Amino acid sequence: MTSRIGCRYLRVTARGRELLHVESLDVAARSALAVLGPNGAGKSTLLRALANLGGLHRTGQVLLDGRPAGPRELRGAVAAVLQRPILRHGSVAANAAAGLRLRGVGRAEARRRSAPWLDALGVGHLAARSARTLSGGEAQRVAIARALAVAPRVLLLDEPFAGLDATTRADLLADLRTVLDGLDTATLLVTHDRHEALALAGRTALLVAGRIRQLGPTGRVLDEPVDVDCARLVGFTNLLPPAATGRTQLCAARPEHCAIDGPGEVRIPGTVRRVVPLGGATRVDVDTAAGTLTCLGPGEDEPAPGRRVVVTVADQHLRPIRGRELVEEPERSR
Amino acid sequence: MDVLFDGVAQALSLLFSGDEETWAITLLTLRVSIGATVIAALVGVPLGAAIALGSFPGRRVMLAAANTGMGLPPVVVGLVVTVMLWRSGPLGGLGLLYTPTAMVVAQAVIASPVVVALVAAALRQVDPEFLVQMQGLGATRLRALAALGVEARLPLLAAAMAAFGAVVSEVGAAQMVGGNIAGQTRVLTTAAVLATSRGEFGLAIAFGLVLLLLAFAVNLVVTLAGQR
Repeated sequence: MTSRIGCRYLRVTARGRELLHVESLDVAARSALAVLGPNGAGKSTLLRALANLGGLHRTGQVLLDGRPAGPRELRGAVAAVLQRPILRHGSVAANAAAGLRLRGVGRAEARRRSAPWLDALGVGHLAARSARTLSGGEAQRVAIARALAVAPRVLLLDEPFAGLDATTRADLLADLRTVLDGLDTATLLVTHDRHEALALAGRTALLVAGRIRQLGPTGRVLDEPVDVDCARLVGFTNLLPPAATGRTQLCAARPEHCAIDGPGEVRIPGTVRRVVPLGGATRVDVDTAAGTLTCLGPGEDEPAPGRRVVVTVADQHLRPIRGRELVEEPERSR
Repeated sequence: MDVLFDGVAQALSLLFSGDEETWAITLLTLRVSIGATVIAALVGVPLGAAIALGSFPGRRVMLAAANTGMGLPPVVVGLVVTVMLWRSGPLGGLGLLYTPTAMVVAQAVIASPVVVALVAAALRQVDPEFLVQMQGLGATRLRALAALGVEARLPLLAAAMAAFGAVVSEVGAAQMVGGNIAGQTRVLTTAAVLATSRGEFGLAIAFGLVLLLLAFAVNLVVTLAGQR
């Protein structure tokens, strides 16, 4: 794998506080990397540091094709889509052409080259409309078409689906995946939603407190968290200490794999604290010696709060993880 | 009633007969006001942009000062500029008092806070991530700023027009630093004041009409531009 965009020892500080410290990261052409992290983990900072956007105080190197890249090279190679689709006054067609226009391409040529991208993103029929009349999903499609129209060698997506409703987001993710699969572009997606990572990226990095904790194929990263923070990030929110499981290590399990009085080998007694119906499923919080555990089940005859129950998990659904005390905390430089 | 009627009739005949003095006064008014507006824009646009986009200490204080400055009494400005340019004053050696240049200076001082405050407000209407997004599409910082200017062109135009409107209708400072010298520093407002005090209502109404016409033209341009 040859790296299209990457970084070495990339550090970003603000007022003496370290926001980001990434020793090494690479994204190859024709591939997508998702950077998954909680709010405030430094995801957007990483994306902006890579693209040299927003006047960050950064040190270290950004690499383009394996070579250190300056602002000019990055400007030529990168296109970014931000969380809010920032469109300009004017028609959709003019907005799609805006990226090319900013790069000095003539008006007619920019329109001609950007039009197919509106079609590819499913908004070709809106070309003559004023950008101000678009819905959130349509505007984000236009913003993505605008970025793709410049034929970027690196595409940076900063939570572009976060403001969209579930259906709109699923459709857009599917469309974008189809488009990206045909392109010689390295894509970096920043998100807090593991489903987006799964839908778009072959590899995923987990970013916690400015540091990459885990990096690998998306399926594995989402299924085999290495520590407590990573486990919580990818949905393994139930932590089971050795005393509860009989294992030698701390373990984590997904709520959807924990059942009330089920057949699982690991059995933890407790008291029902509350029952929350969630439409199709039911969430049951149970107070146990291991802390509060959450079970997510189909919810037939759910127990009443206060009842004594046993939370059960199958062995195969337990993931051994490192406890927080073993996790190296990022150093705070002052 | 006759006074008003005769006045308007006389005013119209003055304007349409192409009275040389009236037109000279109008042209000087335009020259001084446009000059002052241009200077205020040169000072105020970068300053307003810095206040809107920058993050330096004292930013809020400057914005508050500019907002206060929008209500700056022209008489105070006239007084200060007069003192500065007075023969024995700090800049007396320049010999600028009672010249159109002095009027341009005074009116630029009046218009600058207007431009600063309105430009800052105009640029803050645009999404704070606008510059980042433009650079994220490959724009240089300069090009991104230009795009921001285009995006906010209507409120920016409104800022310039507000500044022009403030100076073209201003009378106190123009009188004090210009002196209302016939053929040299007499502008529409000071001429109207003088004509009124002499009871030459026809002349005063003529000047008033031209002023109204200028104000209307300014607003027409803004309104038409706003509907594009």
